[in-house]
Amino acid sequence: MSREQYNPAPLSQGGNAGGSSSQQQTTGGFNITGASNTFEDTSRPVSYLCGDCDTKVLLKGGDAIRCKECGYRVLYKERTNRMIQFEAR
Amino acid sequence: MVVRRSNGDVVESFGSSREVTAPEHEITMTMNGPHQPTNPWAPLTPEQQEARKVVNVNAETVTNTAATDIPGHYGPEQDDSWNLERFRDNFRIDFHHNKPHDAAFSLVGCDASISNAFRRILLAEVPTLAIEDVFMFNNTSIIQDEVLSHRIGLIPLTGGEKGLRWLRWFRKKPPTDDFASQAAYDADGEPSTPSDYNTVVLELKVDCRWATEAEDGRDGKKLAKEGETDPNVRYVNSNVYARDFRFLPQGQQGTYFSGDDAIRPVNPDILIAKLRPGQKIHLQCHCIKGVGMDHAKFSPVATASYRLLPQITITSPILGADAKKFARCFPKGVIGLEPSDESDPDSEPKAVVKDPMKDTVSRECLRHDEFKGKVKLGRIRDHFIFSVESTGQLRSDELFLDSVRLLKAKTERFKRHLAEFEEGR
Ligand SMILES: [Zn+2]
Repeated sequence: MSREQYNPAPLSQGGNAGGSSSQQQTTGGFNITGASNTFEDTSRPVSYLCGDCDTKVLLKGGDAIRCKECGYRVLYKERTNRMIQFEAR
Repeated sequence: MVVRRSNGDVVESFGSSREVTAPEHEITMTMNGPHQPTNPWAPLTPEQQEARKVVNVNAETVTNTAATDIPGHYGPEQDDSWNLERFRDNFRIDFHHNKPHDAAFSLVGCDASISNAFRRILLAEVPTLAIEDVFMFNNTSIIQDEVLSHRIGLIPLTGGEKGLRWLRWFRKKPPTDDFASQAAYDADGEPSTPSDYNTVVLELKVDCRWATEAEDGRDGKKLAKEGETDPNVRYVNSNVYARDFRFLPQGQQGTYFSGDDAIRPVNPDILIAKLRPGQKIHLQCHCIKGVGMDHAKFSPVATASYRLLPQITITSPILGADAKKFARCFPKGVIGLEPSDESDPDSEPKAVVKDPMKDTVSRECLRHDEFKGKVKLGRIRDHFIFSVESTGQLRSDELFLDSVRLLKAKTERFKRHLAEFEEGR
């Protein structure tokens, strides 16, 4: 599977495939990417790391690419805030 | 087919000459010669019965390796037909030690095919729970996502046995490039959705930072300036261990996996990664049941192996200095020294076989001329010394019972298929 191609399973309750018995009807399916998950939120400002003083620099679209503490102009992008799925193999 | 491979007069007594197998041409010669046995089809003598259980380990060769307890092998009068009563009377299991992570026992009186089936089922077919899917939220450590995922997949997990047996299979979609297994997968049934009865969720969330006076009672940065180099003193969470996994019970899992039964790594001290201040790992894992033939992480055993019981036969006495040298040819405890004259404790020492189980059958004793013709080495064909080392999810002895249950289920399935085949379905 290619990276960042994870499709979260539907959140429907009781949608258990694979022969669930009546005893297990009460247990709903679950997944880890629910509505409460903030990792998919991209509307907030993105934070970068200053290449000189290593402080966090929050930038919105259109902001000057410059450290607010020391004025250094090299900023490093942080790792994606998206969840990436891997197989433990 | 060789119907009669031994003759009565070569085998005089067990120990002095145990060569029951002879080349075919030799048999024809003796049959026509002066030592012709009275009845070439006579059932095996008790001595021959014993001798055919032994695999001969000679200086350069290993002979008599194949089992001969097949109906008809020795002619019509030797009854080798399989009989449940006889098997039940002869079969034996002796435990040598039985620890949760290491069991050793002997299976005596069964065929190599059965023992080997148990061994292979233990390695590849007894299901266990292991981490399968990793959802990486953040990982700024120096260990890459893929490598970290593979690494945590291999961590052996454990939990309440009842709950582990309650867990069901998760039908996982085969890889998209494997069309054959995809077709088979689509043909039978719906794919599984993660649910409490087939998926266990673990979370790993570790942040590394400098130690501070307020939180840790020591100022890591100050100590570092003073020359402290130990990362455990300077930082907090600089090592990520298996014990940092947090079990997130879902649905009914709380009733099966609570308290001491919680899903957890068998060994809490497994080092997963090293971090430095500012680096963090945040991930969730889905653990599912699987079998060792799919991936080694699902194998319930570190090793499951067997060896045949060694047999050492001293055919003529080994005395004095030779006896001491003889004992040194074997591991400690295999050969003992006893007075050659039982009534006189000061008589010359004699080598006796104390514990052949400890022998490694190195054949060292066969390299020395002074023991030539005085010792025979062999292994008992139907005495399997099993060793099962569990990775910790289930007890070693319980794993062996599981392998027996699985083999039974497989034979029943096979019989059912045969019946269907016979009925022309
Ligand atoms: Zn800066």
